[in-house]
Amino acid sequence: MSHTDPVILALRALGETAGAADDTGHAQTCPHCRAELARLTEVVDLARHGDPGEHLEKPPPQVWDRIAAAVGADPGAASAGRRSRARRGILAGRPRGRLAVGLAGLAAGLIIGIGSTAGVAQLTRAPATRVVAQIELSPLPEFPQWHDATGTALMRATASQQVIVVTLHAPRRPGFYEVWLLARDGISMISLGDLNAGHTGTFTVPPGVDLRDYSRIDVSLQPFNGSTQHARTSVVRGSLPAAALGPGGGSGAAR
Amino acid sequence: MARIDQVSDEDVPGAFSWGHPDALALVYERFGPLVYSIALRSLGACADAEDVTQQVFVSAWRSRDTFDRGRGTLGGWLVTITRNKVADALRERQREGRVLLQVAGGAAVTAPEAPSDQVVDRIVLADELARLPESQRLVMVLAFYSDLTHEQTAQVLGLPLGTVKSHIRRSLQRLRSRLEADGVAH
Repeated sequence: MSHTDPVILALRALGETAGAADDTGHAQTCPHCRAELARLTEVVDLARHGDPGEHLEKPPPQVWDRIAAAVGADPGAASAGRRSRARRGILAGRPRGRLAVGLAGLAAGLIIGIGSTAGVAQLTRAPATRVVAQIELSPLPEFPQWHDATGTALMRATASQQVIVVTLHAPRRPGFYEVWLLARDGISMISLGDLNAGHTGTFTVPPGVDLRDYSRIDVSLQPFNGSTQHARTSVVRGSLPAAALGPGGGSGAAR
Repeated sequence: MARIDQVSDEDVPGAFSWGHPDALALVYERFGPLVYSIALRSLGACADAEDVTQQVFVSAWRSRDTFDRGRGTLGGWLVTITRNKVADALRERQREGRVLLQVAGGAAVTAPEAPSDQVVDRIVLADELARLPESQRLVMVLAFYSDLTHEQTAQVLGLPLGTVKSHIRRSLQRLRSRLEADGVAH
């Protein structure tokens, strides 16, 4: 005897009584058809157990920034350097190199493959974010206990704000890591905030702060003592390039 | 000769596993919402879900050598990493809760739940449902969530009966295959 029509099995899984008259016996006794019906019924039950409006949430944009910063800082990712150059090249609108073309091609392939309008929207929106600088943060000779620490800072600018994404590679220690902007006078400093448990953080540069004056990024280890002052233990530090901060690089020019 | 600008959806896992510098961005475009949604449903808090999402993709990139295309899909591999990271986050939350309770002189807190298999599977299902072509997706939404029979669905949507039947059969199979590949159900 031939197996039950797959369409009828699918409709049965949905609870319809399709083909009941002529086929009930077979679908109940044939192990193959029973198993197939059970497979499909499981899908239907799962779907109905959920919410018709069940939809996927897109992670907010800073999540990708943090991933990119963390991967860019990873010495194990041999291609990290090439990656960030390619990305900057695209974002800054410089002539595209082979890798940049590769990215566009890969993206096009993915879009065609998926055919997802959401994917298209996100991919085409991505370059609107201007990454104006990505720098390495390095330990200071004065603090040899941190000689293994590394980090990256990635700076994004939009028309209205500047965002700095910091990633630190350092062991967990009692206390917490805090990110600072240091002034050129070596005295003034502004706290941007704390790094999370994954040793990363996304910070908005406070309005009115000119990064040409506060061009150095510093990460400190702060004890849990309630003090809001820099603990005077710098883990890593780096300077934002002047080219990214001057006219044409900062938020003021991102129009 | 294979050219980089002809990489298809199926080749993205390959580009990923040999470390193409842009593959991670593409994998994130494709699976970021899936990973984030599982974390968000399991943990409730956006900040925790963001941290887990970050950890999943950074960890996936660093251990991409261990991804074996012959043994499973990239989506399934990422879902497994997500479940582990969510479980870690729940354990960490429990530990913090215990410390707080000890400080407050309270009793021990109950063990947190790992992300339930149903949560993961429902999100994988929602992801695949969203990827169906529009008319197939509509047919399935009506089939799952309305009381309409397939004949009534055909009338409502103005589609031939045969088209509705074939949409139902093919879509249900496709959803099942995706669940078997990337979900927890087997």
